[in-house]
Amino acid sequence: MKCHEFMSAAELLTTSQLLLMQMEDPVMSVHARECPACAQWVGSQRSLSSALQTLHMDTLERQASPAVENTLLQAFREYDFHPSVPAAPEHAAPAAWKLSRVFELAAYAAVAAAVIVGAFLGLRVLNDRNLSPTQVQAGKSTPVPVSEGRTVVAKSSVETPRPENSNLAGYSASSRNSAVRLKHAQSVTEPSEKIVDTNGFVSLMLCDPLICSGDEQIIRMELPGTNASGPVLADVVVGEDGLVRAMRIVN
Amino acid sequence: MLTDQTDEQLLVQALTGNEDAFTALYRRRQGPVYRFALHMSGSAQIAEEVTQDVFLFLLQRGRDFDPTRGALGAYLFGVARNYVRRAVEKSISEAMTTSPAEEDDPVLVTDFDPVRDIARSQTSKAVWKAVLSLPEHYREVVVLCDLQELTYADTAQALGCALGTVRSRLHRAHEMLMRKLQHSAPARAEFSGDAARCLS
Repeated sequence: MKCHEFMSAAELLTTSQLLLMQMEDPVMSVHARECPACAQWVGSQRSLSSALQTLHMDTLERQASPAVENTLLQAFREYDFHPSVPAAPEHAAPAAWKLSRVFELAAYAAVAAAVIVGAFLGLRVLNDRNLSPTQVQAGKSTPVPVSEGRTVVAKSSVETPRPENSNLAGYSASSRNSAVRLKHAQSVTEPSEKIVDTNGFVSLMLCDPLICSGDEQIIRMELPGTNASGPVLADVVVGEDGLVRAMRIVN
Repeated sequence: MLTDQTDEQLLVQALTGNEDAFTALYRRRQGPVYRFALHMSGSAQIAEEVTQDVFLFLLQRGRDFDPTRGALGAYLFGVARNYVRRAVEKSISEAMTTSPAEEDDPVLVTDFDPVRDIARSQTSKAVWKAVLSLPEHYREVVVLCDLQELTYADTAQALGCALGTVRSRLHRAHEMLMRKLQHSAPARAEFSGDAARCLS
C-alpha cells in the first residue's frame, strides 16, 4: 500500500474507525507500522480524536438554563393551536365590496330576465312546431289588400300565401329568374298538395313556418305576354328573404 | 408513556396542544441543540438564545417538518445552524477580534471563554479554540460529527449537502485542526506530526 492509498482509505473512515484501524484492516495496519510518516499521521489523528472526545465530555453536561424552558412553556400556553378566522363585521366591509353588491344584484336580475325570455321563446317555438302547415295557413289566412301599381302595393301579415291553380307556363325570358324560382318552388311543393286560397294565390313553395314567418309583400308585376294579347299582370307574394311565396295572375 | 414515543410522535402531539409532549420533546432535544450552538459560537448566551429560538420555531412551523426527509434531530440541528449563523453575524458586526492562534482566522465574539469556564484540560481548551477558529463550514462538520457524534448521513441532512461533501470537509477540517494545534503550546507535544510530508 502506498501512502496516498493509505490517506485515501483513511479519508473514508470515521474517527472511531480510524482509531480501530490497526485491528480491523491489516493492510492499513501494516502500512502504518512500516511508514513512519503515516504512523505519525495516525498518531496525530488519534490525539485529535482523543482531544475532541475530551472536549465532548467536558461539555456533555451543558444544557440550556431552566429560564429557557419556562419561557418556552409560557409561549406554548399562549400559542393558539386552532386559530379561527373571525368574521368581519358588516361595517368593516370596504366600499368596493358594497359597490359590488349592487352589481351582483343587477347580474341576478339580468340572468332572471334572460331565463324568462328564453322560456317564452322556447314555448313559442314549440307551439309553432306542433301546428301543421295547413293549420298555420288556415289560422293566419287574412284578406290581402292589393292596390294597383307596378311596385310594392301592399304589405301583408300572411305568412303563407294562398295558392291557386293557374297556368304559369307563359313567362318570357325577361322573367326567367322568377320562372326558375317558381319551378324550383313547384318542385319542392308536391303537385297533389298544391293549395289555392280564396284570393287566387297559388303557393309556389312549401314553407316551413319557422322559415317563412314574418312580413310579406305583394308586388304587382307586369309580365310580357306570349302572344299579341299584351302584358300579363300578376301579384307576387315576396317574403322578407326575397323569395317568392305565391303568385296569382290578375288578368 | 411519553418517554417511549419517538420525536416525531411527540411533535405531532405537541402541535395539537399537548404540553407534556412538548416538554418531553424539549427536554430530550434541548441539550444537543444547546451544545451545538455552544460549540459553534463559543457563547453560552448565544447558545441559550438559539435554543429558545429553535423550539419557538418548532412550535410555529413544526407542521412543515417532513419525517420522510430525515430525523427530527437533524432537522433541529439544521434550524439551529441558521439561528447560530444569524447570531454570530450579529455579534461579529458588533465587535471583531482576532484569534491568538492565527491572526488571519476570524474568531467569534463571545462573552464566554471556554478555556476559562468549561474546558478542564489544557488540550481540550486548545482544541476548542482551534475549532472556533475554523471556517464555518468546516467548524460545523467537526461539531456535528466529532462533538455531537452524528452520523455522516444525519450531518449531511442537517447541513443540506452530500455525504461525500461531509466526509471531505471533515478530513480537511481535521488537517486544519492539527496544523492549528501544532502551533498551540498546550497541545504541541501531542500534535507534532506532519502528514503533508508523507509522500512515499
